[in-house]
Amino acid sequence: MMSIPFFLIVAALAAAWFGHRHASLAFWAAGLLGLLLLFRAHATDVLNLVL
Amino acid sequence: MTPALSLRLNAVGLLAVSAVLIFAFADQLFLADLPCPLCILQRAAFVVAGFGLALNLRFGPRASHYALLLIGALAGAVIASRQILIHIVPGTGTYGHALLGLHFYSWAFVIFVVMVLGTALMLLFDHQFAEDEVTADRLSALSKVAFVLFGLLALGNGLSTVLECAGGLCPDNPTDYLLLR
Repeated sequence: MMSIPFFLIVAALAAAWFGHRHASLAFWAAGLLGLLLLFRAHATDVLNLVL
Repeated sequence: MTPALSLRLNAVGLLAVSAVLIFAFADQLFLADLPCPLCILQRAAFVVAGFGLALNLRFGPRASHYALLLIGALAGAVIASRQILIHIVPGTGTYGHALLGLHFYSWAFVIFVVMVLGTALMLLFDHQFAEDEVTADRLSALSKVAFVLFGLLALGNGLSTVLECAGGLCPDNPTDYLLLR
């Protein structure tokens, strides 16, 4: 599952290589969303800090 | 700054991002320093950010492509700072190897900030966006090398992550590749 952002960006790069800019942007947005969701899944512990 | 010079600088930038990914890969493969989940997400953020540079190479410099880079770099900086904060209190441990006194997640934060600064500097030069001078659909040799290398590194990181974590979330402190047991 954590490999999803990488593969989505690979898909975005492939789309860009073949000239499909809008498709590549869609893949990039999906990759960013995947990255943020995975970060949310991993950043659950409370930090014991005073900021 | 002419569009051609901008493209060359974007290619160099993409090669620099690729160098970061190669360095992390080398540490993983040759020094058996398996990336933790947040480490993997920082690599993914480098890939997400670097894609903006790749788009500049392919379609010519555009402010929107730099925006993708900024968004990816900011996401990466947030992830790296989260990992720094986990270990910031002395005695709470660290993860992975250090380089020149800083652990990789600290370096990642520094590099993401440098990427934001570098992008801001690039955006100062409006003439690079002159479309009539941009030769889209004609990648230079340097641009092709940077684009393909970056794509291979993104693919390699994806495959490596599958080997390490299989189909689920990665273990917090990975000691081996789940699919190679």
